[in-house]
Amino acid sequence: MKTDRLIAFFFTVSMLASFGLIAVYVFEGDAQLEGTFLGVALSGLGIGFVLWAATLHTEPVTEEREHPDDVEGGDVELDAEPLTRRAMLWKLLAGAGGALAAALAIPALSLGPRPGESLFKTAWTPGARLVDTDGNPLKVTDIAPGTVQTVFPEGQVDAADAQTLILRVDPNLLELPSDRVAWAPEGVVGYSKICTHAGCPVGLYRAESHELLCPCHQSTFDVLRGAEPTFGPADRPLPQLPIEIDSEGYLVATGDFSEPVGPGFWNLDSDG
Amino acid sequence: MTPARVFGLALLVVLLAAPAAVSQESEPSGQDLFEESCASCHGIDGRGTEYGPSLQNSGAAAADFELRTGRMPLHDPDAQTVRKPPAFSNDEIDLIVAYVASLAPGPSDSAGEPIPEVDLSGVVLSDGQEIYTENCAACHGATANGGAAGAGALAPSLHLALPLDVAEATIIGPGEMPKFSFDEAERNAVVAYVRYLQTEDAPGGADIGGIGPVPEGFVAWLVGIGSLTVACWLIGSKVLGKGEG
Amino acid sequence: MAEQVSVKPLKWLDERLGVATWARRSLKKVFPDHWSFLLGEIALFCFLILLMTGVFLTLFYRPDAQPVIYDGPYTPLHGQEVSAAYESVLRISFEVRAGLVMRQIHHWAALVFMASIVVHAMRIFFTGAFRKPREVNWMLGVGLLLLGLGMGFTGYSLPDDLLSGTGLRIAYSVLISVPFVGPYLAFLAFGGEFPTEGIISRLFVLHVMLLPGLIIGAISAHLAILWRQKHTQFAGPKATENNVVGRPFWPTQVFKSTGLMLLTAGVLALMGGLVQINPVWHYGPFDAARVSGPAQPDWYIGWLEGALRLFPPADFKIFGLLVPGPFFPGVVMPGLAFTSMALWPFIEQRITKDREVHHLLDRPRDVAWRTALGMSTFLFFLILTLAGGNDVLAITFGVQVEAVTNVLRLAIFLVPALGGLVTYRMCTELQDSDFTPFRRQPKIRLGRNKKGGFDELP
Repeated sequence: MKTDRLIAFFFTVSMLASFGLIAVYVFEGDAQLEGTFLGVALSGLGIGFVLWAATLHTEPVTEEREHPDDVEGGDVELDAEPLTRRAMLWKLLAGAGGALAAALAIPALSLGPRPGESLFKTAWTPGARLVDTDGNPLKVTDIAPGTVQTVFPEGQVDAADAQTLILRVDPNLLELPSDRVAWAPEGVVGYSKICTHAGCPVGLYRAESHELLCPCHQSTFDVLRGAEPTFGPADRPLPQLPIEIDSEGYLVATGDFSEPVGPGFWNLDSDG
Repeated sequence: MTPARVFGLALLVVLLAAPAAVSQESEPSGQDLFEESCASCHGIDGRGTEYGPSLQNSGAAAADFELRTGRMPLHDPDAQTVRKPPAFSNDEIDLIVAYVASLAPGPSDSAGEPIPEVDLSGVVLSDGQEIYTENCAACHGATANGGAAGAGALAPSLHLALPLDVAEATIIGPGEMPKFSFDEAERNAVVAYVRYLQTEDAPGGADIGGIGPVPEGFVAWLVGIGSLTVACWLIGSKVLGKGEG
Repeated sequence: MAEQVSVKPLKWLDERLGVATWARRSLKKVFPDHWSFLLGEIALFCFLILLMTGVFLTLFYRPDAQPVIYDGPYTPLHGQEVSAAYESVLRISFEVRAGLVMRQIHHWAALVFMASIVVHAMRIFFTGAFRKPREVNWMLGVGLLLLGLGMGFTGYSLPDDLLSGTGLRIAYSVLISVPFVGPYLAFLAFGGEFPTEGIISRLFVLHVMLLPGLIIGAISAHLAILWRQKHTQFAGPKATENNVVGRPFWPTQVFKSTGLMLLTAGVLALMGGLVQINPVWHYGPFDAARVSGPAQPDWYIGWLEGALRLFPPADFKIFGLLVPGPFFPGVVMPGLAFTSMALWPFIEQRITKDREVHHLLDRPRDVAWRTALGMSTFLFFLILTLAGGNDVLAITFGVQVEAVTNVLRLAIFLVPALGGLVTYRMCTELQDSDFTPFRRQPKIRLGRNKKGGFDELP
């Protein structure tokens, strides 16, 4: 039938326009092209439907005007016959509809950036000075034994993923992993403040037992042993910040944390 | 004053007066008091024993805090210290504190932190709020009602703490509490904010514990859905009125 | 005379809409009489109150993360940089007339709303009211429970205080734990790496537009289906599978429901005025590096929080890929729970092979296995909810928080199992007796007779 081929043509045009829309969106996007493709995709489907309707040739039906709510469902016979013969058109319709749905769903990607590298690194860079929450750089002499303090890299006090706890403990008690022995000059250790379980700030410090505890789910970390977890649901240690004392006596980081900070994700162990 | 309190006070007076009566001739010195009540754990000259740490560098602030808040003397060396009525009179505490402060092993050694001055005039409450939420709220709670710090350690409620107690605690870090290197203004501000939390009234009504959603959930179930379920039962049952059927 | 006046507009309307027959039939619609059938109405009325108080709050709330300097009447926050959202909540609490009471009624209504949904769902479950032909309405109900959870969570997060920020952070961590797509999901939902500025306005749109719209739609369908299918009833002297025995919608049911609606509003107003809830001024503005303890969500999220707290440290690796611990308690467990709950009518049909239509309710004791299973499930979630407050329990009872956690880690297996067995036993015992704990026994009246004895009076 000639009309059927016409309908198929319009459905195909619609589908191609939807693919075009996806392509435009993925490659930067352009309002005129997006509008054009969307318009063609929708109108193509619309014209197809209108043409299809014209071929259905159903007889006019009479329905009584009074008491419509007295008619119980079930005795109305649906004549599906004119619809069932066109398997090809149905398939094309499904294809065009699916492509349009995909094209319409794709802008959801605008909701957020791709994670990319951001989960693997923080604002800490080699040589970055440790500053307190007011932005004042800290000397090793500012850190009294038994204290705990939140620090950030200089100039990055708002960098949430760089928040670090520094604590000063007796260097003789420290049992850090062998490759990190130099990371705690004069007993000043720094750990990411973001819990490796569900990301809460690990705000509690028990000074006598040298343990950090997260108030959200009670994950507990041993400060003396590289912040290995000792209780609660966290399974990974808090990442450690490599610290040294520069020539002027200021505390500086020698690089980023030992591992990606915060809660776990599937490719955390890869190199980003 | 309740009768129980009157009785307790009277008992306290008798107990305190009894030793005073015996040794009226010579008032006990700080050292006498220390050796009588503290040395069994902290050792002669505060050198420390297996039951208690050395006090030779602990300083006046620590001794003052522990004695004035009744945390010391402690009967069970393994127990967490808690606020109790002090075991000594103010004069006696001053004597012991002076003695402990003098215990530095050599004249050149530091003798710990002195008792801080607390001056709440002219502090900015808002600074205190910021310092408190940044440093104290994780353990003591946003409303200073206390919290669990794990391993049986309890961050106590601060609602009974005197301004000087709070100031001293931030300096000495008693028990599991870390020390905080606040300057004087910061310390006064935090003290003022704790004071504010102690005295402010709850604008929203009864403050059901002030520890967040847990008591709120209990109230929602017991009072809210509880009373409404009873209402349903009354409406749906034949208790109200005779009904027809 | 008065009747003439009141009938006239109705007649006018009927001439145009032709609904008189339908309306007359509707007013006579029969509602079976049992107090527990009213529980679902509490949820409906709570939702109405949430809508009304919510509209009021929306007039003053600013869904904006822009930093502003607070200079309102609450001195402990004077001069601090807070988000515009948080500042507007403080303004509602301290400056807007009736703002605080509205905010508190709204929050209490949310807590009671969720509680009433749970109570209503338990009534449906234990009496088998979800059986054919009511499977669709059961699934709609589960959908409403989920939507309610969404409403609660988004609403809890809007004030942008320290406590709600902590809740968002945990939600982000759970999202990011999903294998393969987690980081993408989390970044799409939050607009980047936590914390993001855009999240407040997104939550706001969900909370005041999308979710309430869906809830209104779902409630309408829920009630329409109820209306169409007619209410279930307990078997009685007259009540059978083929009839509905009860009171007419008008006037009895309308008066009862109106009374219950006003009582619900009254209780919530009393709570909103007399009991403080969520004092956001204490928690302070959100700051990514701060946290206050104890940190809990509202009670209806407590079971998820508890699952996160109880789950052992069990990050494991499969082919070198990390499956973080929070994935199981945070995604898998709730996923399974809601799927099996939604599909329960069909699961039960498979077990019992019973595909008949049921309009008569089960007495819970008569289907002992279902009642026992329901009790086990309830206890499972109860233990999880308690675990969500393990630190508060530890303070309250003066024990170690680790001990509470370890005890609950055992209890999560033992208590539901034991509770189920005990319930099963109680049901079978009750089946053999005529004991009805909630029904009043008919009164027997005695009168003195002339011989000095007693006779039963009619």
